[in-house]
Amino acid sequence: MDVSVFCFLASYLCAFGLECRRLYHRTGLTRACVLLFAAAGLVAHTLYLWNRHAQTGLPPLMSSTHDWVLVLAWMAILVYLFLLVADRQLAIGVFLLPLVLALVGLAYLVSREPTQIVRDTPEMREVAGRAWAMLHATLLVFGIAAAIFGLVLSLMYLVQHHRLRHKHARNEGLILPNLERLARLNNWAVVLSVPLLTLGLLTGVVLGWLARKGSESLSFSDPVVVGSAVAWLVLVAFFVWFAGTPARRTSGRQVAWLTVMAFGFLLVTLIGLQVLTGHLGNSWHAATEGGWSRSHEEASTLAEARAGGRIDVIARPAMPQLAQREARRS
Amino acid sequence: MKLQVVSCSHRVAALDVREKLAFSTDEQLARAYQLLKLSFPGSESVLVSTCNRVEVYTAQEDAEHPPGRDEIARFFSDFHHVPLEIFVGDLLSQSGPEAVRHLFSVVSSVDSMVLGEPQIVNQVKEAYRIAQEHDACGPLTNMLFHRAIEVSKRVRTETRLSEGRVSIASVAVGDFGQSIFDRFDDKTVLVIGAGEMAEETLRYLKDAGVGQIVVVNRTPDRAVELAAAWGGAARPWDELDRWLAAADVIVSTTGAERPIVDAARFAKVRAETGIRPVFILDLGAPRDFDPAVGAVDDSVFLYDIDDLEKTCAENRRLRSRELEKAQRIIDEATETFMQEVYYRATGPAIARLREEWHDIRQQELDVLYQKLPHLEARDRAAIERSIERIINKLLHPPLKALKDEAREGPPHGLLEALKRLFLRE
Repeated sequence: MDVSVFCFLASYLCAFGLECRRLYHRTGLTRACVLLFAAAGLVAHTLYLWNRHAQTGLPPLMSSTHDWVLVLAWMAILVYLFLLVADRQLAIGVFLLPLVLALVGLAYLVSREPTQIVRDTPEMREVAGRAWAMLHATLLVFGIAAAIFGLVLSLMYLVQHHRLRHKHARNEGLILPNLERLARLNNWAVVLSVPLLTLGLLTGVVLGWLARKGSESLSFSDPVVVGSAVAWLVLVAFFVWFAGTPARRTSGRQVAWLTVMAFGFLLVTLIGLQVLTGHLGNSWHAATEGGWSRSHEEASTLAEARAGGRIDVIARPAMPQLAQREARRS
Repeated sequence: MKLQVVSCSHRVAALDVREKLAFSTDEQLARAYQLLKLSFPGSESVLVSTCNRVEVYTAQEDAEHPPGRDEIARFFSDFHHVPLEIFVGDLLSQSGPEAVRHLFSVVSSVDSMVLGEPQIVNQVKEAYRIAQEHDACGPLTNMLFHRAIEVSKRVRTETRLSEGRVSIASVAVGDFGQSIFDRFDDKTVLVIGAGEMAEETLRYLKDAGVGQIVVVNRTPDRAVELAAAWGGAARPWDELDRWLAAADVIVSTTGAERPIVDAARFAKVRAETGIRPVFILDLGAPRDFDPAVGAVDDSVFLYDIDDLEKTCAENRRLRSRELEKAQRIIDEATETFMQEVYYRATGPAIARLREEWHDIRQQELDVLYQKLPHLEARDRAAIERSIERIINKLLHPPLKALKDEAREGPPHGLLEALKRLFLRE
């Protein structure tokens, strides 16, 4: 079935609109409609990812930034639907759906083409099929998902805190969990996201090292690697403060603000880098011209060229870097 | 068919009158049903007795002698040995659709002192169960009370009449306390003073599962009494600062003329305990906590009686907005119920009509079969089916007319005409 990004973007947009309406007019029908739109969106989203997998022959987490971002949004929607079914009152949609919409919208901006690291080097194409590459992408996506939930929980904490400090009772529309529960869940999000992202970066280093064995030009000064490392350092600094400061010295509100800032910075940096890598020719996370159909063909040609000791056939205008690299090697 | 209710409720009677007429024990109710059966034989009855109302619902298939307001008043008087003049002016009598509407309003909590309170439906269910136990119900009251419970469910699901808390203590614990804390069983509650409001708040906190309760009061005796009633501990007044530091929830209801805790004192306490959430309910008037205490740090959640009353008023306003919707449901249900009752009243006449016509049919068929003995069983069955269809077709217009007429009220005229036109004397 042919499904476009717009199909589920529109569904999520409708679900978000209805979630906003639920703030003022809470009925069973509105909730049912929210469920319907979100579930329809999820089905379309799943079909789209499946179709992409069928086209590229790789898991969506590894095929392109576009697919990777959509997997992240897909996970968030899955959790959202679970919470929507489990708790009839909870108003998580107004916090989570904008982030999902932003991620799906971002999928339009980032490249649908394979990243250079996967596309250009036969070694990487082999590695990509292996556990390391999958582990790298999975750990990062779970780490970022935990960061997204930490961000959402902290925002909910701040809204609830503001409401209670200003002596507004539980609003009939915006029903949020209590502060104690939000703080506890936020702690879990922080405790999960930092190790996951750390392991994700470490597996990335291993992956890079494996790639360098076959391609000398892969450098750890890649802008995506450097940017991610900086975001990770900020997160680790926050984590050290979070774990090291006695609970009696910090208020829940302070923790929530710092979580919003740390996770916000992390998401903006990582997502910003994903957008920028589309235009950064010197990053191995960047996408290249040409699609998967050409990429497969080119990769085979490369392998043949290397085996036969001739490289001239791949010196195409669309792939100057690759040609130069292979020329150096030969 | 007749339905009546004689009631003495919070709308017309003071508590001291209602108390005198109440049926508070099972034994009293058993005796009351005995007396009702003796006084009004052939009448179905259900007694509803709560702190806000005492009501007697009666119904009869034969409407010759329905017990009216005076008879029920005499029943109250005889049973409770209370002179009539003390309460007779506070009795309200309704019959027919008005009685039905009244029960539907009562059970839907539209007639309650606290609009939308949820207890009344269980109280009515219990009253109906007890009436059934004493064989006091019949077809009409069964139909009426079953329908009333359905109506209350409809009002609860289709309106927001029961949403939002409306008492200070319930708003304090339910709306604010439970928005701060996930659980109360690991929390320490400090009660300063021992007023009524503190006791009511403790009831809600206890329902929420609160762990440790400490009562600090200038008068130790009252503190000991309150602590014993709620499974807590009484502590001397000079330990106040220590318990201010230990408490997660503070409920204060002293009669002090000036605040007993100011910002400086509380800041000193917080310096020892650290920044953890503390929920302070200042229910004293004048206030026991200086409003500046709320600004000591951002984990102090301080609410005074005005803050809570504002929420109560808002919730009451929201409930009132739903009242019209609830009334519409009740009116609609009353109308449907009465149509069913009126139509049901035509049941015996319709049954008689069907019976007579079927007798005629059978007589004519017997004559026909004697004349045509050669008819086979299959032919006889076909003839019987045809005649049955004719009878049904002939009966359809008058029955439909009866049903239509029952929408407007008891179809006495039409019923009489049907009897005269179609029934043999």
